[in-house]
Amino acid sequence: MSSTVYERVSTILVENFGVEADKISADATFEDLDLDSLDLVEFSLAAEEELGVRIEDEEAEALGTLGDAVKLLEDKGATPGEG
Amino acid sequence: MLLADKRLVITGVLNEQSIAFSVARLAQEAGAQVVLTGFGRGLRITERIARRLPDPPPVLELDVTEPAHHRALAADLEERWGAVDGVVHAVAFAPETALGGDFLDTSWDDVATALRVSTYSFAELSATLTPLLRAAGGGSVVGLDFDATRAWPAYDWMGVAKAGLEATARYVARDLGPQGTRVNLVAAGPLRTVAAKGIEGFADIERSWGEQAPLGWDVTDAEPVARTVCALLSDWLPATTGMVVHADGGAHAIGAPTPPAS
Repeated sequence: MSSTVYERVSTILVENFGVEADKISADATFEDLDLDSLDLVEFSLAAEEELGVRIEDEEAEALGTLGDAVKLLEDKGATPGEG
Repeated sequence: MLLADKRLVITGVLNEQSIAFSVARLAQEAGAQVVLTGFGRGLRITERIARRLPDPPPVLELDVTEPAHHRALAADLEERWGAVDGVVHAVAFAPETALGGDFLDTSWDDVATALRVSTYSFAELSATLTPLLRAAGGGSVVGLDFDATRAWPAYDWMGVAKAGLEATARYVARDLGPQGTRVNLVAAGPLRTVAAKGIEGFADIERSWGEQAPLGWDVTDAEPVARTVCALLSDWLPATTGMVVHADGGAHAIGAPTPPAS
């Protein structure tokens, strides 16, 4: 079954950062998810490795919510994939 | 090649913008063998980013404030190489209260943390690796600095820590000179690293740097600083120790931004 970029990002957050699945929503900010600037660095790397899309530092800093991150990744060409 | 067969320990690689990442990349391209260190949560990030180097190096855990980590690092390197030709100290931390403008309202505990991690660790890491450097015939220790002879906007207690680092490097140079070890710092111009972006107000320093530096300055390019570090790690500055080398486009030498000649 294919999964959306949103689902793939959610999986990264749950598996790599121990975020509780029920806290995840498009409106959640990274602060809501208890991700600090160091986590955001790691999130960018993980997203790049999992989705093949590079998030520049400046872009990562400007991200408000999880929905923003998904939109950025989609705009940059991340596609729904297996997983 | 500049660093052929040099065995280097490089701290402070967090992401591709890290000065230490550029050092590791250039060093490998110049023939060096590299081991990285990482710390705490950053360790996982360093492990990830290590895979993006030309030849993914091992990553060892080093929290500079943990004596046990120092011992484990020395033991690993002793077994791995038996000697170390070069060390890059790219470690600094200050609590938020110690940066960004409230200089006169920072507690001693927060200042102590900044000095512990950013200043004392230079001597401690040098001491940890002294026998391995000696085994390599001396070797080179290089630390990252930001010109501490002047006060800066926002830099605050990190500036004090860097002033201490400059003094510490001179004393380590004094004590390790007899075994042939060179000890130097590279004072970088401002770069948009994760560390710098953690400093509220650092942008004020960035802004005028390019105008003041005769050679110009690109805040997004760590390579000029990394090349300078590699030069100090090489055999080509054999009589240089206890020195702060400025890799800043020359801004430190100029008193005020100079308009281009018409």
